[in-house]
Amino acid sequence: MLLPKFHYHEPKTLDEACQIMENLGAMARPIAGGTDLLVNMKQGLISPQNLVSLQRIEELAGMDLSGGMLRIKACQTVSELAKSAEICSSLNALNLGASALGSPLIRNLATVGGNLVSARPAADLPPPLMAHGAKVILKSVSGERTLSLDSFFLGPGQTAMKTDEIMAEVLIEQPKASSGSGYLKLGVRKALEISIVNVASYLELDEGHKSIRLARIVLGAVAPTPMRAFSAEEMLMGEKPDEKLFYKAGQAASKESQPIDDLRGSADYRRDMVSVLTQRTLAMALANALTRGGAH
Amino acid sequence: MDNKITLTINSKVYEIRVESNQTLSEVLRDQLRLTGTKVGCNMGDCGACAVIMDGKPVNACLVLAVQANGREILTVEGLADERDLHPLQRAFLEKGAVQCGFCTPGMLLSAKGLLDQNPTPSEEEIKMAISGNLCRCTGYVKIIEAIKSASETYPL
Repeated sequence: MLLPKFHYHEPKTLDEACQIMENLGAMARPIAGGTDLLVNMKQGLISPQNLVSLQRIEELAGMDLSGGMLRIKACQTVSELAKSAEICSSLNALNLGASALGSPLIRNLATVGGNLVSARPAADLPPPLMAHGAKVILKSVSGERTLSLDSFFLGPGQTAMKTDEIMAEVLIEQPKASSGSGYLKLGVRKALEISIVNVASYLELDEGHKSIRLARIVLGAVAPTPMRAFSAEEMLMGEKPDEKLFYKAGQAASKESQPIDDLRGSADYRRDMVSVLTQRTLAMALANALTRGGAH
Repeated sequence: MDNKITLTINSKVYEIRVESNQTLSEVLRDQLRLTGTKVGCNMGDCGACAVIMDGKPVNACLVLAVQANGREILTVEGLADERDLHPLQRAFLEKGAVQCGFCTPGMLLSAKGLLDQNPTPSEEEIKMAISGNLCRCTGYVKIIEAIKSASETYPL
């Protein structure tokens, strides 16, 4: 299980990195934390001729909140996300997702960008980020483009990124005070687990907390990519949030999911669990919204 | 050996040449003969290779040696000072937290990473901190007790 040979590049700036990707294209893979890439290389699944390290590029580190927009740089580690007071107070689902990813040893290496570009159907960060309506900024020598995460994932390991592009940032609009979110991951153990099903929900309430203004529900590990449960979302909008409604939304999400049978669980079991996790994350999102709304 | 790198390991500076496809765990063990760091799964699942890099415990099998260039590494060899065992090591001995010993270096470093951040952890926090370290002998109970006991005397 030694790593195959490759040429190593260590650009200091994003422009330099983009130039290398422009020149090498499909012969190169960017490496950040390496927790997914190096495992795949050791297993012989891929053997890129070139690795382009992004970890010494200062522009890709850290995060900031300005103009109502949270910008998480692509190389921010998952442990920094899980520790962030900003994320903890306003992006509950993302805090929970980051805290559930891998193990503490993995979280100290793994990055937000890496968890997105590896595009595993059961990954922990895509559902929370999609539930919060996140977008990503992709850079190349020809410029940059902003893409909603809804249209980013194309299949297991497949994304809308071109071979010369590098993910620079994840953008999230600062959620309104009357909003909340929740995330649950179903697995057989608490650490180093690939989800059987994972679900993130986001709810935005009207001023008096009487009805739901906006809902997003994202299901993981039940389709080739993380998926929005649109019919369940529609069922919630404009309605009074309560357990009965959340139960019906869970049923709708379950019908929409397209799980397969595999060694982690059967399709039937996954469908049932989509319903349960949807219902529970909606309840978490509501409780989170009421707590956050009450503080203002 | 096409890359020249500098590593500060246990406060000692090493200037070495490495291949780009060598991991930090391979360099520590095979090149520098610091074999206290163990390699179990070599895939980031078992935590036997845990070292502290720039203050944070990480899986050394998932770090390229070239990516560790310029960084500060603490391995199990650097835990004790010249005369005394580290309080965590002493607590592991006292509580019987070591059986075959293969997971011990990684456990110690994950535990040190925790106590450096949080000197008075709860039992849940201890369990969380070692959740990336597998032990097939002890059943974890004595390891958790040892970390708890060390936290009461840490740092000396």
